[in-house]
Amino acid sequence: MNTTDITTIPQCDKETKKWKFSELLAEPDVRRRWEKVRKFFFLRESTYDMTNRCNIRCDGCYYYEGEKQFAQGNEDPVAWRELMKEEKARGITYVVLAGAEPSMVSQLLRVCYEEMPLGCIATNGFKLIPASVGYRIHVSVWGNDETSLRVRRAKNLLSKQIDNYRGDPRAVFVYTFTRDNINEVYEVMDTIAAHDCKITFNVFSSPVGYAGPLRHNKDSLERTRNVMLDILSQYTEYVLFSPYSVAAHTYKHGLHELYECSYPRRNPSTDIGLGRSFRQYRADLSWDRDAACCVPDTDCEECRHYAAGSAIVTARLYRHVIDPDTFKSWLDYVDTYLAVWVVGYEKGDNLCRGLIAPP
Amino acid sequence: MLMNRNKKAMIFRVAEIIIHELKLEEITPETFDPDLDLVNELGVDSMDLATIALVLQDEYCIIIDEDDYPKLRNIRMIADYIEKKQIA
Repeated sequence: MNTTDITTIPQCDKETKKWKFSELLAEPDVRRRWEKVRKFFFLRESTYDMTNRCNIRCDGCYYYEGEKQFAQGNEDPVAWRELMKEEKARGITYVVLAGAEPSMVSQLLRVCYEEMPLGCIATNGFKLIPASVGYRIHVSVWGNDETSLRVRRAKNLLSKQIDNYRGDPRAVFVYTFTRDNINEVYEVMDTIAAHDCKITFNVFSSPVGYAGPLRHNKDSLERTRNVMLDILSQYTEYVLFSPYSVAAHTYKHGLHELYECSYPRRNPSTDIGLGRSFRQYRADLSWDRDAACCVPDTDCEECRHYAAGSAIVTARLYRHVIDPDTFKSWLDYVDTYLAVWVVGYEKGDNLCRGLIAPP
Repeated sequence: MLMNRNKKAMIFRVAEIIIHELKLEEITPETFDPDLDLVNELGVDSMDLATIALVLQDEYCIIIDEDDYPKLRNIRMIADYIEKKQIA
């Protein structure tokens, strides 16, 4: 396989023509896609650690880094219902229920779902979340069963995850590429495809101070990029991803350097957007603006996290309105993120098949 | 007098664009308060504002810098901003 170097990819007409937004929307497929994705511009997210309990312990886990792991869990359904009502009142329309392991507190998930119907749960998939909780469910996969046993200390994890979530329209499997599981994705993909499941990709983003074997380097990012593109072409119907998603998440620079992170942790502005509305609640229902982003305690210079990209790349619409291919790439990225995060949203075919460098 | 008429027309047109782009069914350009705070009072978010800015760029052949979005707080401020950009 040849290595794809994004920095050498030619970019369309950037020097010679200034494109008007209306010109970029002139193509009917592009206009349709724009109208499709913009219907979801109303989504305003916040994230919530549901409990400080987990049923497995993984190397490199974001939750068990920093201060948030020491928060005293509040598992009172009345307090959670009240919080959801207050969140709705301040304009939040989408909740991401994460750390440590949300399936440990299914009664709280039900309360959240009753108050806030749009959202997603990040789970290790070991324990089934009841069907009465209609959120999108992201099931994290970190390699084949052998690797899962080594890194996550969980036996037959992929088999258990598939037993729990095959045929479940809520479920999207999320394969996290680390430095040492890149080629294992082929084995995982065969299993995913055989069980007709959907998958998307994440890139391991080191927590602050982490220097372990999962941390990416230039070589592993390039290999990840090539494998992602190969998987995208081989398993099209099972993969929710786009060539621009590949480019944005495997570039030599992290998301913050490329796009300027818009989460409060890196964005002091409270005028509009995520800097104004986003909060990251700990398990005791407290929140801290200085630490607020979707994966707190990640090293920002290393952040290539799929959840971060969904907000950060999308927010940079303006930078992508420069030529047809760059705009189509942005539309593909947003269409992908919506398919990954919103139950019932169907991803369209990617409009741009080429690899475009982030503007 | 001419300046005032031009400004009024611009405010009206900006109102039309915002109504169209945000699909606001209960406001008309005539009833749209030019001093209404788009973010705090109308609930416009960053993606809405980015969309409006792109359409205004096309309409008035100007470049609206991303860093200037927070200055576009209401229709009157948008009209002032466009005027300054056109003169520059």
